[in-house]
Amino acid sequence: MTTTLIGVCFAAYIVSALLYIVHLKVRRPAWRRGAFILVVGAFALQTAILGWRWWAAGFLPVTNLFATQFFFSWALAATYLYFELRYRIGGVGLFVIFLNLLLLASVLPRDPALPPLIPALDTPLFTLHVSFSFFGYAFFAMAFSLGTLYLVQRRLSHPLLPTLPQLRKLNEESIFLGFVFFTLCMLAGMLWAYVAWGYWFSWNIKGVWSFLIWLFYAGMCHAKFVRQWQGTGYAVLSVAGFFLVLFTYLGIGLLMSSNHPLE
Amino acid sequence: MSAVRLWNFLCSLKLAIVLASAAVALLVVGSLYMPSRPSLFGAMDRMPLGQWYAQAWSQQPEAVWWVPAMGILIILLGINTLCCTLDWLFRLKSRWRKTGEYLLHLGFVLALAGYVWGSFDGFRNEGMRIAVGQTVAIPSFPGHYLMLEDVEIFRRTPRAIPDAASTMVLLRGDTQISRYQIRTNDPLIHGSLVVVPLSFSQAAAGIRAQISGVGAVDLLPGAVFALDGGATLTIHDFYPWAMRRPDGSVFPRGENPVRPALELELNNPDRLIWRGWYFPQDGLPPELAEAGVRLRPVDLVYRPIGLFTVNSDPGAPLALAGGIAMTAGVFICLFSFYSKRARGDRPEIT
Repeated sequence: MTTTLIGVCFAAYIVSALLYIVHLKVRRPAWRRGAFILVVGAFALQTAILGWRWWAAGFLPVTNLFATQFFFSWALAATYLYFELRYRIGGVGLFVIFLNLLLLASVLPRDPALPPLIPALDTPLFTLHVSFSFFGYAFFAMAFSLGTLYLVQRRLSHPLLPTLPQLRKLNEESIFLGFVFFTLCMLAGMLWAYVAWGYWFSWNIKGVWSFLIWLFYAGMCHAKFVRQWQGTGYAVLSVAGFFLVLFTYLGIGLLMSSNHPLE
Repeated sequence: MSAVRLWNFLCSLKLAIVLASAAVALLVVGSLYMPSRPSLFGAMDRMPLGQWYAQAWSQQPEAVWWVPAMGILIILLGINTLCCTLDWLFRLKSRWRKTGEYLLHLGFVLALAGYVWGSFDGFRNEGMRIAVGQTVAIPSFPGHYLMLEDVEIFRRTPRAIPDAASTMVLLRGDTQISRYQIRTNDPLIHGSLVVVPLSFSQAAAGIRAQISGVGAVDLLPGAVFALDGGATLTIHDFYPWAMRRPDGSVFPRGENPVRPALELELNNPDRLIWRGWYFPQDGLPPELAEAGVRLRPVDLVYRPIGLFTVNSDPGAPLALAGGIAMTAGVFICLFSFYSKRARGDRPEIT
């Protein structure tokens, strides 16, 4: 049942991505409205699935690869809708929808069974830590999308794409919100580590790279005030930062031994 | 360089970016050493950083050179952040709108100071084994003891994996200074000391036996039994896996009940009859049999045992203060951000 419903979401996101692509070429409001309605519908269904699984498990199910990818996908959709509702970005956020589709495609063949919760994860600090982390990642993904588009627009100056100042402002907002969520994730993680392990900073590879990401984006929040780093530099940093995020989430989680395994 | 220029340099935004970039680059390089040396870097969380580094440098200096370099960069970043915060405080009247940002700065400085403090002071003991009823001294914390009163196994929900609630008493000498039922994610915290449960199991603690004239009893260390004829049998010690040296002395080999042994003492009211080790697998020592003791071992007695992490981090309260400042800073930043956008700073995209 869960897999079927996720399949419905997947289909809706695919169609909406196609409609957005069509709308980039043919500027008719109906295409865009249709795409938006599909994203809202898929997001609502994803929210219902997540809510049902949370209710059935008794905890936010984000303890294995299936569950974290599904949650990340949901956070990406929420981030996209935030920018769409606030700034009507339309096809500008296509990368985020593509990433969402990749995540859902990876989720579909996996077993959706709810695993029992180990006692160490049975705390609101875990729920906060993971939720904030994926919202941080989602905003960083959006920043990647906007940064890439900035670099493209700088070369093309295409009239269908937003202007460079608009993209820059959106990118800065995305980085700022990502940094806010990631900081909250780190703070919840610090507190949780202290009560669970007796120390609040772990030199485990995941802890080190999470601090690295935090430092990187903290630097970016400062770089926007330096003239040389505004615009192109900031866009390049947004792209580079997302590779650090991807490596921290997937590279370390899947390839290395860490205290944040993803099985 | 004049004092003003030096101060401006220390508060410089560009200096912060350079230091943060250098720290990020160094962390990327340094973390490349970590996966290939799990035993070296895996020990980093088991002791304060200063203690770990002293050991690691003597073993593999080529793999840990980046740690002090990283420390210097982060401390310089901390000094830069502190100077920025002080500079903001001096101009608070005109820059109060940046309160959120500077609370974040202050929080980072406090957390960093807490980490540096905890890296050179305090201690970490991972995997302290304490059986129910046992009192053990806390290593590196003279005069302080932990006594495990009780362990209760429970499930938070019917499907949940079992957890343990351990009633732990912290003693200074003979005086109880704290008593708390600790569980996973709910440790005993007293000042800089934190006691965290790791896992639980059960261990052989003694032998259940039939003693003629007494009945079925548990022979546990510390127990005393009055026997027929006024004699007393005292249980001094128990080893689940005991080994005897050629000179006759006995030592513990491990925790598995492979070859259990009890140290017993038999006394008449007026004199010591015998004291020595009793190995049930070898039969009753002749001295006890001759004194009329009839003892038949029936089973092993098990008792719950807990594994605990006992750490002391004097910098933790400072780091907590930093965390609170950062949390407040983040929310004020958010509020301030949306206020600014509501005032018209909003990109329009159509």
